[in-house]
Amino acid sequence: MAMEPKKDKGMRGLVIGMVLFVVVVGVAFSLYSNKSNSAASIPSSVSKADGYGVVFNANAKPQIDIWEDFQCPICQRFESINNSYLNQVAQSGKAKVVFHPMSFIGAESILAANAAACSADQSKFLEYHKLLYQNQSTTENSGKWSNQFLEQLGQVAGISNNSFINCIQSAKYGNWTKNINADAAAKNVNSTPTVFVNGKELDRATQYMDGAAFQKALKDAGVK
Amino acid sequence: MKKLQPWLTLAARIILGATLLAAGILKIKHPSEAASSVRVYKLLPVSLANILGYSLPPIEIGLAIFLLVGIWVKRVGAISGILMVVFIIAVGQAWARKLAINCGCFGNGGVTADGKVHPLTYLTEIIRDIGLAALAYYLYRYPHGKLSIDKLDKLDKLDKSEEVSE
Repeated sequence: MAMEPKKDKGMRGLVIGMVLFVVVVGVAFSLYSNKSNSAASIPSSVSKADGYGVVFNANAKPQIDIWEDFQCPICQRFESINNSYLNQVAQSGKAKVVFHPMSFIGAESILAANAAACSADQSKFLEYHKLLYQNQSTTENSGKWSNQFLEQLGQVAGISNNSFINCIQSAKYGNWTKNINADAAAKNVNSTPTVFVNGKELDRATQYMDGAAFQKALKDAGVK
Repeated sequence: MKKLQPWLTLAARIILGATLLAAGILKIKHPSEAASSVRVYKLLPVSLANILGYSLPPIEIGLAIFLLVGIWVKRVGAISGILMVVFIIAVGQAWARKLAINCGCFGNGGVTADGKVHPLTYLTEIIRDIGLAALAYYLYRYPHGKLSIDKLDKLDKLDKSEEVSE
């Protein structure tokens, strides 16, 4: 034992230092990168006060908040059940509707959320939102949702201008997607989809995947 | 037993270290889910749960590296053991409060797909964590194993004399 104690101790100290350094940097980076960034550019329809969500009918009541991830299959199911009613509510101004596109599933969720925010600038969010779910890949981050594909979806939604394409290609709202995630974390949102009506979550077991129950819940809250 | 002990210590270090490393790496790629998986236990205020959720993965990876290369095995064993006990308490209280926790994954949402409590899931998790806590305690008692950087440290000798006297 202890043939070259000095040398070995130096190595030990070096390893300790490196590991501690990596851990401290890792913790600091993790805390920092999951924080909200107030300098992020946001679409005009997005309200910081509403958790950076895309807002329809800012002054209407009640308020319906929806957290979703465009890649999440259960969100697609929720969408296919409740989409037409929800879009009607948003378009006719019967309630304040706030969409929070999260991106915890990965890279393509960020691309899709960014593109959806770009479509909001073109006043086509609801159409684009629907198209994303209709064109969801069966596997997550499969490569299907490239920026080119997302640009083509924009054409299908009736968007044909360069600012939309620039917005997608420059990932204009990439930092905004982090703000959505940070706000969801602060509001204790632990699943997608999550629906709040006037700040209170609907009952996941009975009111999410049943169109009639969903409509009744919204009507009970004051949606005419 | 005396001859076996350094090998058992090495085995304990590898099992505990590899588990922590896998847990840390899996979570560090998905920080939102990591934070969520702390929140769903409803033990801490949301803001604290988020801080812990974001910090835990790099800390787990650090503990794992120390265990695998054999640095501060006694101390790191103690910290890992405490961490396991905290996990056991978290899972146990979730079970007792009938929180239907899945894994904290977003997809079906912190809550199990059917929204029901599955005792077996909690039980297996608790048994696993008790096993890991036992390994951590073993490392605390017998930190001196094969293939460890700690070997040439002064602390090593001090610890060894303690063990002999016990």
